[in-house]
Amino acid sequence: MNRSLVTRAVAVAATVGLGISLAGCSAGGSSSTGTVSGADYTGPKVTIDFWNGWTGGAAPVIVPELVKQFNAEHDNIVVKSVPMEWADIASKMPLAIKAGKGPDVAVAHGDDVATYAAQGLLLDSGDIVDGLGYTADDFPEGLFEGNQYQGTQYGIPWSVTPLGLYINNDVLKEAGVDTTVPTDADSYEASLAALKAAGVQGEWVDGYVFTGTFEFESLVWQFGGDLYDEDVTKATFNSDAGVQALQHMVDQIDKGYSPQNVPQDGNFNALVKGENAYNWNGVWQTTNEALQDVDFSVAPLPQIGTEKAVWSSSTDWIFPSNKGQSADETSAAATFVKWMNDNSAGWAETGELPAANDVRDDPALVEKYPNLKPFLDQLPYAHYETVAPGITAANAEITTAVGEAVLGKKTPKEALDDAAAQADKILEQNAQTYGG
Amino acid sequence: MADPLLSPAARTSRSARPGAPRRDLTAYAFLAPFLVLFALFVLVPAVYGLVISLHRWNSLVPVHPFIGLQNYVDLVTPGSLTFSDFWSSMRATGIFTVFSVPLLIVVPLLAAVLLNQNLKGTTFFRGVFFAPYVLGVAVIGVIWKYLLDPQAGVVNHLLGLIGLPDQTPWTVDVPWAWVSLVGVTIWWTAGLNTVILLAGLKGINADLYEAAALDGAGTVRKFWSVTLPGLRPVMIFVTTTTILASANMFGQSFLLTQGGPGTETRSAIMYIADQGLAQGNMGAASAMSYLLFAVLAVISVVNFRIQREKA
Repeated sequence: MNRSLVTRAVAVAATVGLGISLAGCSAGGSSSTGTVSGADYTGPKVTIDFWNGWTGGAAPVIVPELVKQFNAEHDNIVVKSVPMEWADIASKMPLAIKAGKGPDVAVAHGDDVATYAAQGLLLDSGDIVDGLGYTADDFPEGLFEGNQYQGTQYGIPWSVTPLGLYINNDVLKEAGVDTTVPTDADSYEASLAALKAAGVQGEWVDGYVFTGTFEFESLVWQFGGDLYDEDVTKATFNSDAGVQALQHMVDQIDKGYSPQNVPQDGNFNALVKGENAYNWNGVWQTTNEALQDVDFSVAPLPQIGTEKAVWSSSTDWIFPSNKGQSADETSAAATFVKWMNDNSAGWAETGELPAANDVRDDPALVEKYPNLKPFLDQLPYAHYETVAPGITAANAEITTAVGEAVLGKKTPKEALDDAAAQADKILEQNAQTYGG
Repeated sequence: MADPLLSPAARTSRSARPGAPRRDLTAYAFLAPFLVLFALFVLVPAVYGLVISLHRWNSLVPVHPFIGLQNYVDLVTPGSLTFSDFWSSMRATGIFTVFSVPLLIVVPLLAAVLLNQNLKGTTFFRGVFFAPYVLGVAVIGVIWKYLLDPQAGVVNHLLGLIGLPDQTPWTVDVPWAWVSLVGVTIWWTAGLNTVILLAGLKGINADLYEAAALDGAGTVRKFWSVTLPGLRPVMIFVTTTTILASANMFGQSFLLTQGGPGTETRSAIMYIADQGLAQGNMGAASAMSYLLFAVLAVISVVNFRIQREKA
């Protein structure tokens, strides 16, 4: 019995230790780079798989409706929508495409497009874009180029999702604080100080993604800095601007405007519950069910630094180059994308801004969805996510630094310097992996 | 103890006669299904992982340059991409193991001894202790994340009601994050060890207690002189599996603390999974797996040796 125990123990250790490597088995790669046209699909009937990460808010209702309508209008195309969590898409789609089981069309986050392109997972979508008649001018500045990798277009912008200042007016009124929306460092500070005097911690600062990280990145740009250098070969978020940005966040805690040790999403939950007045959060929260019972409003981020700036993410249509991808299915997918873009006005219902300028600039949009106005107003100075293969690994270091500083483990400068050093190594490794 | 296991083999060797090969064949036929699975899911990946660890290997990029032992060298070279993160994750795993294993032995042992008394309701409590174990890590992670939320959690609220600090950052800052991770793990898995130890207790001959009582041993003496020695074989099993389970902790810190603050509670498995699966750094992740495997194998053997010598 004892002998077999050791064998078993070693076997267990081996299984667990090595099981990790199992996932690497499905390697092998064919990087096909065919092109597809943007003309309306007229071929034989095809079914196309459409993967997207729209699982929250109004999307689970709207997407099936749009797809149903599209299917009814097109005899020769059946679109099958497959919604799953963004994280699941990130982990499943690359391997699925390599295995020829991926979608025919998908929606990806802007900062993933270059990575997928470098991994040979995407079709050149230049012809589709030409067919749709889109140019860079049809989208907010920088967005269209963000879908290019080594000079080739690999995606079509679909939506943009900037940060904004969420305000719980009930809390302000109850505390007897002026409800004028703060727009700069002084008025924001004054409002937070008045809230503190009334016993309310006005803005809760955390060190996690979706709030803390994106607040920090917005502030870096506001103080005139940037996250990486032009070629994305070196991290620059530890510049003076970065340190000032992070110091501002730590100050909120030191001054008692924010509690210590806020967990992930703790700040937004507190806004909903009426425990704080301000939350820096994304446009996607405008449709959050929980918020609808609160007297809330949204405003552009206050300008804390020397210039106006706001973080924004984007989502983009991509056309995967599945092993054995059929040209018919990709053409049908292009037709679907075109139709969706033409009908994207209703998309705002999901709490995302349509990327296409003509849809977004239509006054009817703000009329129907007034909460989107502050987000639209910020777009001229929005900064989109850095585009480079493998960049998300380097970005994770930013969150680590913000977390360490917010918790007082390190000073802002120490935390950012350490993270930048690590991010530089990751960028170097990415250059080796993807041939820079 | 080992005799019954050895005897079939001994019998075979004694009865070496013309019919023997056929008997071996039958044995291998019975073993074959497991061997196939073992080869497919353990041996092949193990060897393949070794191959991967010698390359710079991103499974989505077609070229995997051979880099020899560089991934291993990086792991022991201060200043490399993986060095500090890997060893801080090993440290996190070490801290968790050191604090959780003793508690995961002692608490279940006490519970098992209590449940072994002839009291009313022991069956009920046996079920209660075991119940959390049937839950998946995702379930317990989400439940405790709510309960332990520093500002909005039930735990801090209740502590506040009885006049204790109500702002403890259970999931956000160390050392409290460690208290939460260890505590939640004990709540979650102690039931399994309790049931195994309880089975061991039932297997101790009642005559031994009677004899000890006649020799004048009290409750405490009986525990040290009869119960513990009687549990030794079961104890080896429980310690070994508990050490391995704790060293492979992943879900609790992934869900409860996201590895935070910073990366302080990011366990080795969590870092390896992040490197290999999320960042596509499969070569380095495989090298780390081998290093972790080597450490666990040594610990397992040492643990086994120590306990066997006592016996």
